Amino acid sequence: MLVMGEVHTALLQNSGEIQEPVCRQVLGLMAGETVRVSRRPIAHALSPDLLTGVDCRLPSASQARVRAVGTVVSRCAITGGRVAQGSSYVRVERAAVDRRLSWSHYLSRPGVAEVLGKAKAGDLAAGFLDGAPPDCLDLGAISGRFLDLAQSSPLLDRRAPFRIPRTRLRWVTEVGEPSIRFTLHSDQVRTVRIAHPEPFTPALAALCEDLALHDWLLTTLLVLVERAGIGSAPGAQAAAKLAPAVDHLLHLWMPGAHVGESLAPYWESLDRRPGFTRQWRTLEDRVRDQVALNTLTLLSITAQTGRRCQ
Amino acid sequence: MLIFAISDKGGTGRSVTSTNIGYRHALQGNDVCYLDFDFGSPTAGAIFSVSSVARGTRNGGLHEYLRGGCAEPHRVDVWTESDREGLRTKPPGAGRLVLLPGSEGGGELSAVDDEMVRRCVQLFGRLEEEFDLCMVDVSAGRSFTAEMVLQASVRLPSIPFRWLVFHRWTRQHIIAADGLVTGADGLLDAGARFGHDPEELRDRIRFVRTAVLEPDAAELVGLRDEQRAWLSACDAELRELAGRHGVGRTAMLGKVPLDPVLQWREQLISDEDVLASKIANAETAAAFDELAKKIVDDSAWEGL
Repeated sequence: MLVMGEVHTALLQNSGEIQEPVCRQVLGLMAGETVRVSRRPIAHALSPDLLTGVDCRLPSASQARVRAVGTVVSRCAITGGRVAQGSSYVRVERAAVDRRLSWSHYLSRPGVAEVLGKAKAGDLAAGFLDGAPPDCLDLGAISGRFLDLAQSSPLLDRRAPFRIPRTRLRWVTEVGEPSIRFTLHSDQVRTVRIAHPEPFTPALAALCEDLALHDWLLTTLLVLVERAGIGSAPGAQAAAKLAPAVDHLLHLWMPGAHVGESLAPYWESLDRRPGFTRQWRTLEDRVRDQVALNTLTLLSITAQTGRRCQ
Repeated sequence: MLIFAISDKGGTGRSVTSTNIGYRHALQGNDVCYLDFDFGSPTAGAIFSVSSVARGTRNGGLHEYLRGGCAEPHRVDVWTESDREGLRTKPPGAGRLVLLPGSEGGGELSAVDDEMVRRCVQLFGRLEEEFDLCMVDVSAGRSFTAEMVLQASVRLPSIPFRWLVFHRWTRQHIIAADGLVTGADGLLDAGARFGHDPEELRDRIRFVRTAVLEPDAAELVGLRDEQRAWLSACDAELRELAGRHGVGRTAMLGKVPLDPVLQWREQLISDEDVLASKIANAETAAAFDELAKKIVDDSAWEGL
């Protein structure tokens, strides 16, 4: 019917970026299985998939009582040793019989929740993207908990270079003519709707995680630039406030780095409109120009002081 | 940074002072979150002038969150949701100011289980990611709430925390404030029981005097000489008493003068109240401003 997921993205609670062995340990805390690490074009560590059993109502736009039983897949990722993500998703399918079966049945289909009774995919998608009411399946709560696991690792010093809220990206994919729609809601909530002609593969979840990562980077850089008060605060002060962006963020922009070839067109379409990379490059230039301007000011002060001393 | 605000007795002005400190800290450019852990009387919403949560919230209050009734507590952005026009626009350069209200009709905690402490730890850990300061209003006197946050702070060794003990400048309040910290089952006693080092904990506790009437205050100009002499003698006696009880100058972070506005209506004192409508005293706003700086100024928190 459809697949829905939610990704929470946060600044890893450590003073600097962490190296690969530490990444492995932070993400390995959750299970005995190995952590998958890729180094090119950017360091990316992914925890093993973990399952959470669910038997609850699904959010529905029409408030219909839709019950689903099955398992949710969750995982944690750390990119560039700096950004942490908790991600969960579930494939919603019609059950063959309208009664709950034994857990062995659901465990043999990891990441699938079977709907008992009738449900419309569009209704479930709209209900989910609106945000789950308290008594319904809350993928965000599961993702948040997994992200907490990574963030509370004793290997992290919790002295993050700046404070920034987590972002949440809820996504839904359905089978259909290829299309993607990205929507900004409140300060922290985003939604993505994807229609994809092929059956679902985990690569689609990876695409959404990549979108969430880059949306977080963009959101965070915007906040840091706003906090710097360029134009109203003295140049040196603004440059000092932009320093964490240079130290920790600017090198992380790598859209589509871990997205399969066949899904790349979705990223490209978002880069055309609303134009993620365009906005990022403009902000990046702004940060660099501020730092350069401040360097020039400092140099001219030093030169003047030097002349006076002669 | 977590700041726990507690008082020896009710009616000390703990909530109104801690909200004002949080408000001033946000004006100074920091992201601030205010947690109403005063479960018996969750009225922080009223002080921030957010009428929808004036007596706590019906959905997703902190009480409900700690009991496992919701995944995340309800948040109120004071800069957009306050009913006071002067508060509804975020001043340039100010940080975020977010209130986490208590649950309407929640009631004091009657016990603390491990699951509650775990949820409290999770909440503090998440808020620490995004806020420079979390001000936690921990109700009056010895309570399960105080025990819960003592346990939670032990489990978060890398998150700095400090305690503010609010008390009025009277004989009973001075003795009670000391008792709340050093007495049987007081903060140090309970803290040690949960694994805090009493010496270290002591260094993280400071006192704040509220509704202080200085003998040389302008309000006292109309008093007779005899009255003024008597007040002076009382003040000297209280200072001596405070010194003996470890509540003296060295352990004091600051004091807030008596202000009619705070006596009659618990509210945030904005610069507009001081400069435009002139209902509040400039000294009061200055005292909050000073406290808002001192809570994060390490030199004010050096070992006693």
